[in-house]
Amino acid sequence: MNAPAGQLAARGEGARQGGVSAVSWLLVFIPFVVVFLLIGRYVIAAAVLAVSILWAVKDRKSKRLPLAPLAVLSVSGGLLIFFIILPILNLLFTTEPSRVVTTALDPAVQSALAITLSAALIATCVSLLFGIPLGYVLAREQFAGKSVVEGIVDMPVVIPHTIAGIALLFIFGRGGILGAPLKAHFNVLLSDSYWGIVLAMLFVGVPFVVNHCRDGFLKVDPRMEHVARSLGASWLQAFFHVTIPLTKRALLSGAIMTWARAISEFGSVAIIAYYPKTINTLLFEWYNFFGYTYTKPLSTLLLLVALAIFVSLRAVATLKRAEY
Amino acid sequence: MWPEFAIQDVTLRVNEGDYLVIVGPTGAGKTLLLELLLGVHQPDVGRIFVGEREVTALPPEQRGIGMVYQDYLLFPHLDVARNLGFGLRYGNRDAGDTRRRVSEIAELLGIDHLLHRYPYTLSGGEKQRVAIGRALVTEPRVLLLDEPLSALDRGTAARLRGELKLLHAAKKLTVLHVTHDLSEARQMDGPIALIKEGRLDALGTADELLRRPPTVFAAAFFGAVNLYKAEVAETAAGRRVVAGPIVAESGFAGGGIHVMIHPDEVVLVPAELAEQPNHLRGEVMALTDEGNYVAVQLRVIGLPAPLTAYVSRHFVRTEKLGLGSVVTADVNRAIHVLEG
Repeated sequence: MNAPAGQLAARGEGARQGGVSAVSWLLVFIPFVVVFLLIGRYVIAAAVLAVSILWAVKDRKSKRLPLAPLAVLSVSGGLLIFFIILPILNLLFTTEPSRVVTTALDPAVQSALAITLSAALIATCVSLLFGIPLGYVLAREQFAGKSVVEGIVDMPVVIPHTIAGIALLFIFGRGGILGAPLKAHFNVLLSDSYWGIVLAMLFVGVPFVVNHCRDGFLKVDPRMEHVARSLGASWLQAFFHVTIPLTKRALLSGAIMTWARAISEFGSVAIIAYYPKTINTLLFEWYNFFGYTYTKPLSTLLLLVALAIFVSLRAVATLKRAEY
Repeated sequence: MWPEFAIQDVTLRVNEGDYLVIVGPTGAGKTLLLELLLGVHQPDVGRIFVGEREVTALPPEQRGIGMVYQDYLLFPHLDVARNLGFGLRYGNRDAGDTRRRVSEIAELLGIDHLLHRYPYTLSGGEKQRVAIGRALVTEPRVLLLDEPLSALDRGTAARLRGELKLLHAAKKLTVLHVTHDLSEARQMDGPIALIKEGRLDALGTADELLRRPPTVFAAAFFGAVNLYKAEVAETAAGRRVVAGPIVAESGFAGGGIHVMIHPDEVVLVPAELAEQPNHLRGEVMALTDEGNYVAVQLRVIGLPAPLTAYVSRHFVRTEKLGLGSVVTADVNRAIHVLEG
């Protein structure tokens, strides 16, 4: 208690970090352990649970932090984490790997997966092509009606996706404003086609791309571009030689988010183009015809794809962070 | 875009090879002025020339004007060598020429050992050297410096200030250097322009602006201590400028006039000499030891604010000056009359 101020402060800092780590330990491990308990490894699970609780309690006690917050935090927070992680882990751990492999080898699944991934990729590229300029304008320029534009960009997030599908049909469908003339003059039908899927994915993905780009550009000081200009770069060269390299990571993570969002899109896709079937449409169909247990291996497969994207997103987010 | 900042009227001719320091309070429009010259903002009216060439309508990359900001703004994704060489990418130079120019400029600024480091590993002084080198490498006709030393610690700032003067002399650069730091402005030895609310308020050498500021704002900005409102009046001796007991000759016909008394030109004389013109009788209110001199504050009847005079410690000791002492201040050689 009579330690000098500096020492006290240092100890306080350490204690705070220790407390946080103990809580996060509990938040993550309690759900894991509960899942283990559920799926039968009782003894190991109980031991790990006991050790993690004891460790967290001991950690808090050694840092002279009260135990009550720990209990409240880990019960309330743990429940929420548990709610998210339980269905995911249950699906992963209770599906037989061999059935997942068999499902992955099914030609119908493979074609649906290929359609989904490629259509989502095209939607992502198109939205980047148009979203980067819009994001840049939103980041750099002040103009009348800017908030209206930003609101419109965010609209696909709040519109129910089934409604988005219906609304798109009225434009691009067989009798739609653009769909009818396209069909009449060029014999092109966007609905019920691969390009219909791309359209639906584009619609729901735009907010992700534009907002990510805008936030990325906002982090680049416009004076950085001024300096580049003063050194002889045209505005386009300043954009490509300074602004884009500095927003690379934001753009990449925006692209991955959009791709993931597009892959998971079902509502609008199923309405504008039930055929060719995307992986979600296929899953929905299996569920309708054969029941939910039948869809388990396919669900697990899709979950693994989503997790892989998620991991790569996190990797991009931490990539070369130390550099700037 | 920025309604709170505006450049109103700045007509300024900077001679080739001059080192002009632009000073002014925060928000006076100093940075905006530089950015107008740089070309990232367009003026609504007015024209900008570099030499004989009008550049008002030209984009920044065609103006031949270099810019260095207070916070360096090095390109974080490029190492020092590529930061320095950035401006050479756009001039169709071959790689050997670029390398040679980069190493020349790096040597000149003493940063040749940093060429392969990234900006985030550099100290503030090193970063600012790189920023200056990056601007110089394209040999701009004019170099704009926006508070180039303000983010640096005092020692580094003083060293870099000396180097800037040497660079200016060696490369025959035309430099516009914005600062809010008065002592920095004085030490650059060049003319000083004072900007107030987007207007050019005063222009002159440090000595002129300190001793004979043209406006009240300039006087106050450059630290005038004794400033009194005055008026033109008919006296027995003719038209004179009068501020309480102070009477001065001047060509001013009327309007807003102030009288400024230089505290270091005030002579304290024995009290009984008070009857002569501009010999002000006052009572000592405060004595402040400023290190090399003592500031004496006098209460003078007829003056709205105390009169400050600088005297030596020796004087205070021999004259036994203390609170309440009554002395006479001879201000005859200390008077400067100004507009405003």
